[in-house]
Amino acid sequence: MGVSVFLFLPLVLPLTALPISRLAEQHLHPRSATRLLTGFGLAMAGCSMLCLGLLGVLGTAQIPGNPLPDSWSDPEVRDIVPFHVEVGAGAIAMLVVVLAAVVRTLVRQVRVGTRARRAVAHVPYGEGPAVLPDDRPYAYALPGTPGRIVVSTGMLEHLAEDERAALLAHEQAHLTHRHHRYRLATRLAACVNPFLRPLHRAVAYGTERWADEEAAGAVGDRLATARAVARAALVTHRAAVPGLAAFADPSPGPVPRRVAALLGPVPSGRAWPPALSPAGPAAMLAAAGTAASALSALNAATALLLILKAATPL
Amino acid sequence: MVQEREPSAGGFRARRRGQGELEAQVLAVLREAPGPATAGWVQERLEGGLAYTTVVTILSRLHAKNAVSRTRSGRSYRWLAASDAAGLAALRMRRVLDSEADRDAVLASFVSALLPDDEPLLRTLLDSASEGPGRTAGGPSAGDRPADREG
Repeated sequence: MGVSVFLFLPLVLPLTALPISRLAEQHLHPRSATRLLTGFGLAMAGCSMLCLGLLGVLGTAQIPGNPLPDSWSDPEVRDIVPFHVEVGAGAIAMLVVVLAAVVRTLVRQVRVGTRARRAVAHVPYGEGPAVLPDDRPYAYALPGTPGRIVVSTGMLEHLAEDERAALLAHEQAHLTHRHHRYRLATRLAACVNPFLRPLHRAVAYGTERWADEEAAGAVGDRLATARAVARAALVTHRAAVPGLAAFADPSPGPVPRRVAALLGPVPSGRAWPPALSPAGPAAMLAAAGTAASALSALNAATALLLILKAATPL
Repeated sequence: MVQEREPSAGGFRARRRGQGELEAQVLAVLREAPGPATAGWVQERLEGGLAYTTVVTILSRLHAKNAVSRTRSGRSYRWLAASDAAGLAALRMRRVLDSEADRDAVLASFVSALLPDDEPLLRTLLDSASEGPGRTAGGPSAGDRPADREG
């Protein structure tokens, strides 16, 4: 019986991602929050995958023609690990869905990245960003070796000199600190376990805040950076598609929160929150959740291995 | 003999013309190209029968000045006038942005979409940010339009 609890626990523990990500966003430096949440997400996703795999192996051991040793479907073994064929088949189906989602996300990431980089490949490197003559306002950081910043003239002409500098510093920070890796990692984690989706949103927001802080430091002007973000958003004027994401986000959207944070003081650079602040228990909870998830997944895995090893005549 | 060696004669005549003038001519020809063009394509359309190597030299000089960009194709390069390069890139970029529904999930955009209530809030925040030091126009700065289209 113990095995079953340990097998399902890592699938449900990622539910803690929502409160944890919200607390981390409010109380940690964006750099620490991004790193902490990415690590948490990857660990949780890994455990989820392991448990799905184990459930699949267990449940389908009795189905004739599966590649596992025959002794695994022995009645004695089945008594110790009481798992049904339906559970196993469901787990395998979920595993297939998860892998398909992961592959699709990766392919998409590579395709869009390649297309965007190819689009600006002919623009000479020279100094600074690729400035494209386009009325539509946009600014992107394209990761790669070396990464490139793409800005449209439509964006630049709405910004004052110091705001332009802030925008470029922001995009440069994305490239320098390889923010796309954090975003991709948590995106994939959210593919593995949908409970981890708030975590991906929090990490995406965290990288933006991180880049904002870097830009404010580089330009030496928090106000100009705040103005750059606010003005760019108003000019871009893209309304969010009403959907789940809009529901799950706290009511002021990410952009006003970024501006408000820039108008406030510099966040302290602590990597781990002090135990007495509200973020302290949250970080502890995150760490405990990850540890519990990892431990139960490992526990289930070793228990099964021991049982099956005993059952396999060698 | 001497008359047959057109290219070097052309090269000689070319040298007598100013280098800047030649560069401008090459650039003008390149701007008319429908896409990245080879040095041979440029040479054919240049007046005065310049030698192939001369054209390549001029193109390389232009490339050093960031006035043209080049991509390798086979054993030679294809060349593109820089201002055209930016325009072409803008078109291609727009195509990428239009065709990818959730591109913001893949590409890191400077600002993400606004929620319905965000806009008034943002205007309030912007006003408070602009009240601070120095003067800044309330709306989009209508003043200095940047002329910094990268060359």
